[in-house]
This record gives sequence, structure tokens and C-alpha cells, in this order.
Amino acid sequence: MTTALTQGLERIPDQIGYLVISEEGVLASAGELENDEHTAGVIMQMVRTACRFRLHGTAEPPFKRMSVMFEDYVYAVTISGQKVFVVKRQNNQREPVIV
Amino acid sequence: MGCCFSTGSNQDDSKKPLIPDPNLDRKPTNGSDRNADGLSSSRKNDQDLHAAIVQRTALNIIDVSAVISQGLEQHEYMDRARQYSTKVGVLNRTWSQKKPVPLPSLSSQPHQVLAADLVSNADVQQVSKIAAYAYSAISQIKVDAKEELVVQFAIP
Repeated sequence: MTTALTQGLERIPDQIGYLVISEEGVLASAGELENDEHTAGVIMQMVRTACRFRLHGTAEPPFKRMSVMFEDYVYAVTISGQKVFVVKRQNNQREPVIV
Repeated sequence: MGCCFSTGSNQDDSKKPLIPDPNLDRKPTNGSDRNADGLSSSRKNDQDLHAAIVQRTALNIIDVSAVISQGLEQHEYMDRARQYSTKVGVLNRTWSQKKPVPLPSLSSQPHQVLAADLVSNADVQQVSKIAAYAYSAISQIKVDAKEELVVQFAIP
């Protein structure tokens, strides 16, 4: 089952690490996020908080993916089937240079 | 005159009622050995019941006015403090063990969602600008004091 979860994550373009987290703890980790329980903990707290947001009294959280953006990389986070998926991707977007 | 067919003390017999009157026949006692009519024994039961109620209430009542006069000894005080904090600790643990809200499902295709295009720099900058404006607005909230909060009353 873990292979099914992680196979898709492995193939994400320019990913440099990932985590699969459940209520009990980290199910899988790789790359720069390998064994990174601290990051897993922080991201769990962030996503739980974000899931409490509602737009105009709707029932579900108003987003599919949460992105934590840094200068050179991004943590992309989503939830599916009681598991939190985190992928660390390189942020290759650069400001267009105006000459 | 006499009466026919009487054999002895005819006066008493003729006047003696057929059904004995209970009020007349009662002996002057405290009633503890009588169980014929149950009146006195039930009174004693009432008294016992009353005493039991009073005692139970006295045990359950916390007389606040009396607390000030009672002093707790140091060791007794420490014992109670420890007892209470243990109790509170148990309650805290059971409360924090309650299951948290289950995670909602945001997508049935997590890999697709995570592989999608990242948020563009333009969007990030716009959001940063909006956040900065909001922060600036909030930091400008202040109290506009129009008059003195404390005034002196002029007593003529």
C-alpha cells in the first residue's frame, strides 16, 4: 500500500522530497524530507488550521491544496483518504527580467 | 328492682358495654410496648427518621461561615493540595485524549493535485501586498480619547 502511495509522489515533476502522514504518524518519507518528523508535525498543524477556514458558511474547506512558499522551494500539501500528502518541489519560477 | 337471670354483681354486668371502648381501657404508659394501634411506635419511627435526615444533612452541608474559624494544619493542607492536583491531572488527561476532528478529504487525486502547476509569482506578490495592507490597517487601530477618563467632582 505504501508503494502505491509513494509511486505517484515520486513522479511529481521537480520533487525533491515527500512525506505521507496519518493521524498516527509518518507513513512514508523520502528525499529531503526523509525522517523529517519535525516538518511533518509543523505541516500537520498548519493544514489542520487551514481546514477550519470556511467561505460563506460552506461545509467543506475551500481549498484542494495548501502551498507553503519559500524563495527556492515549495511545500505542496493535500489530504486524501485520512492521509496528508506533502511534496517538496523546487520553485523554478523566476521573475521575468525586463531589459 | 333486680333483674332476672343475673347471677352475681348484676349492676356491673348489666352496665358493662358489649364492645370494649379502647379509649377507656388504655393504661398510662409511654406507649413503647403497645403495638395494637401502632400510633406511638410510628411516632418513634418518625423521630428516628427525622434524626437520620438531620444527620445526613449535617454531613452533606458545607457551613461556609464556619470555615474561617477552622484552621488547616500544614500537612493536611499539603495533602489536600496534592489530592486536588492529582484529580485535576486525571481530568486533563482524559479531556486531551478525546479524538480530534477527523481530517477532511480535500481530493481523491492527491498526486494530480500536488503535481499541478505551482502558485505563480504574480499571485504570491499580490497576496503579500494584500496582507501588508491588512497589517498596516490593523496596526492603525487606536483609541481616540476625547475626554478625561477620571474626573474630579467639584463639591461646593
